[in-house]
Amino acid sequence: MLQTLPVFHQIPSKSWMPRLAFAPHNSDPRGDTLVVIFLRGAADVLNMVVPHGEDAYYRLRPSLGVPRPDDSKTKIDNRVVDLDGFFGFHPSMFALTDAWTSQQLAIIHACGAPDESRSHFKAMELMERGVDDERGPASGWIGRHLATLDTGNSSPLRAVGMGTLPQRSLSGSVPVSALRSIANFHLGGDQRALVQMRAALSTVYKDDVMGQETLSIMDTLEKLDTDTYQSRMPYPDSEFGQALKQTTMLIKAEVGLEVSAIDVGGWDTHFAQGSVNGQMPNLMQDLADGMAAFHADMQERMSQITVVTMSEFGRRASENGSLGTDHGHGSMMMVMGGNVQGGRVYGKWPGLEEGQLVGPGDLAATTDYRDVLSEILTKRLNNLAINAVFPDHNAQPVNVLTG
Amino acid sequence: MTLSRRDFLKLGALVSASVALSSCAPVYRRLEGGLPTGTLAPLDARDFIALNRLTFGPRVEERAHFTETGLEAFIEEQLDLEAIDDLSCSLRLSSFNTLGMDANELEGISNGLFDNYDREKVPNELRQATLLRQLYSKRQLYEVMVEFWSDHFNIFVEKGNCFYLKTVDDREVIRKHALGNFRDLVWASAHSPAMLTYLDNQSNHKGTPNENYARELMELHTLSVNGGYSQQDVMELARCLTGWTVKDHFWLGDFVFKEDLHDTGVKNVLGRMVQPSGQREAEDVIEQLATHPSTARFITAKLTRRFIADDPPPYIVENAAQTFLDTNGDIKSVLRVILLDGLPLAQPKYKRPVNFVTSALRTLNVETDGDAVNGHLLQMGQSYFNHPTPDGYPDYSEAWQGNLMPRWQFAFELIRNEIKNTRNNLNELLDVPSTGVLQDEVDALASLLLGAPMERPTRDKLIDSVSSTGATKEESLQILAASLVASPAFQWR
Repeated sequence: MLQTLPVFHQIPSKSWMPRLAFAPHNSDPRGDTLVVIFLRGAADVLNMVVPHGEDAYYRLRPSLGVPRPDDSKTKIDNRVVDLDGFFGFHPSMFALTDAWTSQQLAIIHACGAPDESRSHFKAMELMERGVDDERGPASGWIGRHLATLDTGNSSPLRAVGMGTLPQRSLSGSVPVSALRSIANFHLGGDQRALVQMRAALSTVYKDDVMGQETLSIMDTLEKLDTDTYQSRMPYPDSEFGQALKQTTMLIKAEVGLEVSAIDVGGWDTHFAQGSVNGQMPNLMQDLADGMAAFHADMQERMSQITVVTMSEFGRRASENGSLGTDHGHGSMMMVMGGNVQGGRVYGKWPGLEEGQLVGPGDLAATTDYRDVLSEILTKRLNNLAINAVFPDHNAQPVNVLTG
Repeated sequence: MTLSRRDFLKLGALVSASVALSSCAPVYRRLEGGLPTGTLAPLDARDFIALNRLTFGPRVEERAHFTETGLEAFIEEQLDLEAIDDLSCSLRLSSFNTLGMDANELEGISNGLFDNYDREKVPNELRQATLLRQLYSKRQLYEVMVEFWSDHFNIFVEKGNCFYLKTVDDREVIRKHALGNFRDLVWASAHSPAMLTYLDNQSNHKGTPNENYARELMELHTLSVNGGYSQQDVMELARCLTGWTVKDHFWLGDFVFKEDLHDTGVKNVLGRMVQPSGQREAEDVIEQLATHPSTARFITAKLTRRFIADDPPPYIVENAAQTFLDTNGDIKSVLRVILLDGLPLAQPKYKRPVNFVTSALRTLNVETDGDAVNGHLLQMGQSYFNHPTPDGYPDYSEAWQGNLMPRWQFAFELIRNEIKNTRNNLNELLDVPSTGVLQDEVDALASLLLGAPMERPTRDKLIDSVSSTGATKEESLQILAASLVASPAFQWR
């Protein structure tokens, strides 16, 4: 007995279709677009946001220390850029001063995780999972955020990991797209085959909302050309700069992006990291120039965007014997956005004197990184299920954001 | 599934020691009984759904065989594992040395100098082998059950030493008992170093208990969340499980019960007093859990959801649960009830990525070494042993419906032979004797992929849409095949 069945316009009947809508920006419960920048390798934050008001800093770093803002023996371009009389940016991060003076950039210094392992692998894993130790949930904190907040947004680009593979922080949420570049959200092959395939897909997905949406995103992204894109300020030509540029383009294209996760590698500077110039100053410049370009480019939309930077831990307060720094503890986070109460350094500064350092001579962590993330998720991304996102952490207010 | 000495001798003449996998393909095919031949009779829709549940996507020869024997005989043949000759699949796996290694050896080959571990080699071989088995094993129902239990007793290889311990768990827990007895399965899983590591029982010590495994053993592996246990039961079972851990030197990676870490007090689990008896305490509880009525209902409901429908008829679950209890958890007996009573009522389910990929590769008779295909699965969100949370990859349709692009990319690259070491041959597959009529070829392809040809107007509209772009006949055939794999209909099974 033969029935005529699977015919593609019959099989997925409407009742099986999930609802589909790209909720517009900030239509409840969808909040800001979040950009998470992870500095892989444990960034030496003491040379990024320099405590130039601490004598101990210069004693501990005779070669690597960045000259004081008022150090008249040094060219002005090579001195710390003062922020509040005590802290200042490394000169390579000068590009961020615009965001800082417009009070859209805040710094949380001496923050970090309870983990004391000083192991990259372990610390990164725990931080991306957002847990205290091995025991907690194995999924990632962003994944749990997405899973616990139903924004009614079923875009395939709801959460994007910039790179070949989605970051661990994104795991636990389906779907998550890894996007090496916008060009990846496309069918490969030559133009001729592409036109043919596009025509066939359009026919087979004629009555399917999800398919039509995917085709329309494909078409939208196809028109985007990262090479000819005009930004207010140029993005660095680095992997990081390009990832930020693509995030900008996705936000502008309104394809349902809620979270973009971006990695920046190379921060494990045990050897000849450079004081004013060199290896690590280059990384800082890349980071700052990229963020500054993003800030300028997204000016009109900044009230709907929050950017956060983090790293798995900090580095030893004192320089080592090979003009680098070893694994430490306390780190630093930056938060940028239109609703940031910026132009301030947050967090209790524990000091760098003997007795104030922890472990083998490391900056202490006085603010848990999850306090900052919790505030972003609750105040800016409207997620009230924060206990499900960070189950073993009781978040304390940092008040770096307005709700 | 390992090759016997005699098998090896038989094969010696066929295979030289170091040929690349792809060049072996003709040999495997000869062993498998030649290329699929014969006309492709359209399949009754119910039969096509049934076959899609019993296999990872029916091959031509499986369709033919099913039509010949009928559902019941097909199932019985699949349940009689030992009677199925699976030599060619074993041969495809023969170069994967890690599959048979114990934990100590696996740690050894992963451990480089200065504590730098290669965390990829061992899990990658397991992933590749898993895909190849799903594709090429003739024990399809068994492989479907292996997948089911791998989800049920989910382990994430990124967690600690699970990256090498999972290979042992896969062999000694999941594959060993997939069609055996549920009590043996949960017992083996509880003693599995990978599971104890994944769910933190390693740090469950007297005085500083860790409830993680105890909780999931009841919540996810046996009774289910509303199965009648309390937080107190979790804490008490955790106490019973103190000292269940993994050796960290000398036969490293083996299970060990450490008396000195064990809480020797009296416990009370599920209303029963547990007298101090060391390792035996938790084992007694496991016996109780394995045959508990809540467990019977939970396991059979999950199986019915997997095989029949997201929302299956309750009476099938009830019948299956009764059989579970009557047979003390005999998996084959339970399956017979679910499959024979349930398959005629099966409802379409959205293919999970693994099913989408395997069904495309199997129905189109693709040759692959399984390596690059894993990258595609990762993009789709279902790489093997890569689900972080202990609930396993979701098994309801809605969870998977949001991510079409990687499926389209796969379909397109597959048909254009752009996936590394992965080859299809449409002309050979269709074997249309030079009628050269595109319509006939599309009918044959639709029969293969969707069970039956499309309605004529729909088919013609699809062909028109492609040829109107100026595509040649060759190009059209490729595009039409790719679009059928990418089509909404093929996303359902």
